[in-house]
Amino acid sequence: MENRTGKGFYLFLAVFVFVVMFPFFWVFLTSIKPVGEIFSSFKWFTTNPTLDSYGAALTNRPLLIYMLNSFVVAGLTTILALVFASLTAYAIARLPIKGKGFILGLVLASSMFPQIAIISPIFNLVTDLGLRNSYLGLVFPYISISLPLAIWILATFFKRIPFELEEAAKLDGATPFQTFRKIIFPLAAPGVFTTGILVFIAAWNEYLFALTINSDDRWRTVPVGISMYQSQYSIPWGDITAATVIVTIPIVIIVLIFQRRIVSGLTSGSVKD
Amino acid sequence: MDRKKRRQFHLSEKQLGYAMVLPSLILIVAVVLWPVAQSFYNSLFDYRLNDPTRSQRMLSSTMDLERYVDNYFYIDRQLENLADETSNPEVEQTIADIRAGVEEFHSQLISDEEIKEKVEQIDDLLMSFTPVRDSELKYTKVDNDFAEEYSKALQSYSEELTKIAEANQDEAVSQPLQQTADLLSSTSGNILESNFVGLAHYADYLKDARMWRSLWNTTLFTVVSVSLELVFGLGIALLINRSFRGRGLIRATVLVPWAIPTAVAAMMWRFLYDGQSGVIAHYFEQLNIIPDASWLLSTSAGGMVSIILADVWKTTPYMALLLLAGLQTIPTSLYEAANVDGANKWQQFWRITLPLLKPAILVALLFRTLDAFRVFDLIYVLTGGGPANATESISVYAYKTLFAQQNFGEGSTLSVIVFICVAIISFIYVKLIGSDLFEGRTK
Repeated sequence: MENRTGKGFYLFLAVFVFVVMFPFFWVFLTSIKPVGEIFSSFKWFTTNPTLDSYGAALTNRPLLIYMLNSFVVAGLTTILALVFASLTAYAIARLPIKGKGFILGLVLASSMFPQIAIISPIFNLVTDLGLRNSYLGLVFPYISISLPLAIWILATFFKRIPFELEEAAKLDGATPFQTFRKIIFPLAAPGVFTTGILVFIAAWNEYLFALTINSDDRWRTVPVGISMYQSQYSIPWGDITAATVIVTIPIVIIVLIFQRRIVSGLTSGSVKD
Repeated sequence: MDRKKRRQFHLSEKQLGYAMVLPSLILIVAVVLWPVAQSFYNSLFDYRLNDPTRSQRMLSSTMDLERYVDNYFYIDRQLENLADETSNPEVEQTIADIRAGVEEFHSQLISDEEIKEKVEQIDDLLMSFTPVRDSELKYTKVDNDFAEEYSKALQSYSEELTKIAEANQDEAVSQPLQQTADLLSSTSGNILESNFVGLAHYADYLKDARMWRSLWNTTLFTVVSVSLELVFGLGIALLINRSFRGRGLIRATVLVPWAIPTAVAAMMWRFLYDGQSGVIAHYFEQLNIIPDASWLLSTSAGGMVSIILADVWKTTPYMALLLLAGLQTIPTSLYEAANVDGANKWQQFWRITLPLLKPAILVALLFRTLDAFRVFDLIYVLTGGGPANATESISVYAYKTLFAQQNFGEGSTLSVIVFICVAIISFIYVKLIGSDLFEGRTK
């Protein structure tokens, strides 16, 4: 639309960034305050910055174990989802099969399923298989979130690759699977990577399954672990703010590095181009 | 083997296509469709994990054979001892009757070959003090009438013995009698009636004030927060839809709230809202926006405002991002033509931007509405559904029923209700959006 970028515009941007970032900013400022100050004043900047809360956050609860758990679970989920989803998305986007509308409808519908509607049978199944408090016990139900998401995004990426390439491969005598493996998949690699980031973040953030299935402290993931820092009678805000800063840093790094990819992955699901 | 391998390589495009789709379809059926069907099936039973008489879904009467076999062994022995010790012929007669009765029912029970086999197997396991883990072995279906009769008979035997025990002054005599009476009564509890209740849970919930309250909370939360997100998101998207310096910074700002776990965001907001040390609560109080600092988390209205504000903070940026992508697909030539025709900015917005952005808006609304309607972690961590269930969403209610009360029958009913609501909402949106949703993905 208009291309005027005046002072007012930058003022607006500054306010916007401040409002969105304020909670992080405040949580960070709190995390370096001495614990006594947190409960006694609303001063923005402490005069005695300390890392005590960080030490407490790491020793009172196994925060690093939570992060390891989240990392393993989200990583395994991402790999599994990408393997199955890239096959399916390729078939939907480029192969002459029947019932594509039905399959996509099913995929979309399952991404809309409320997790609460599947949690109790999944809980029973995981219990019967003896997988409670294990990585697999979470990776299995996470397929219900990650697979539809991955198929949905990957289908768009596969669709964008020019069809002439396949024709050429066919003429050279490549079988359909070779065409997929050697020509289309490498070309779609950036899209697959983008999808991987989104699936990883979705799995990293999941709460309900992690809360019910891995109830043992040793097996908790980051979101559940953070929400369990409080004890019955008091809430150790110093520990919680420090823990929040620690677990937010990897996400901020991922976002800073991959922001363009993330945006393209997020919007590919919603706009035609 | 070799031939087979070569054949696989020569799959036609079509065969390959189906082979590629199949694994995902199987997985989706296993982790999504089958569990939903199970949830619905569970909702038809009075099914509670923490109550041994209802921890199974039983379409017909069922016996807990492990406990029954164990109890039966003691009943026989205890009755024999009682008969030996008593000198009263009347009591002796009663005990003999009871023994004959139990014997009669038991032999009727094991007249079924399959049950007899199970009983023997369990007997062996019990002899070696091994608990029965296999629920196929532990439980057996029995005829409804037989189950009712046997259970009632055991109950009445127990009452008879209790009566004799109470009539007896001598504790040395009355105590063993009472013990056997208790054993008979608990054996009666090993015979489980069917806990199939049909749609009764649904009928109950339709009259349950807490269910309607949570449904209302969910709807209010969804409508208000998604509307606010749309308005703010659209505003932000329109403003930043131009080239300017620092786009990267804005993009990162927008993505970070979206990327952090909702539970972590909820924890942060809980700190900011806290009545004692929360900075937002403090400033809002100073600015007279709220009556006092504790208002946000300790009153019903405050709780609702809190969760909506936190949700708007977390997802408006995401909404703006989706709408911005939609805006960028609108050709600038349209605006140039409108300028030539003398249309003002306002007219351009209503006549060009909105109509062309409609598909993107609808898709964004679809995803956001469904996400907001199944809200769980934000509320569970931020307010826990309180104060006094004032912010409880239907998913939170279902979760509490399922896992805090271990009531899988009623909890499943609530989760099926969430599912039905979500299905209705998506049906409406898909009707509105039409086939646009699939465009660009299939050939």
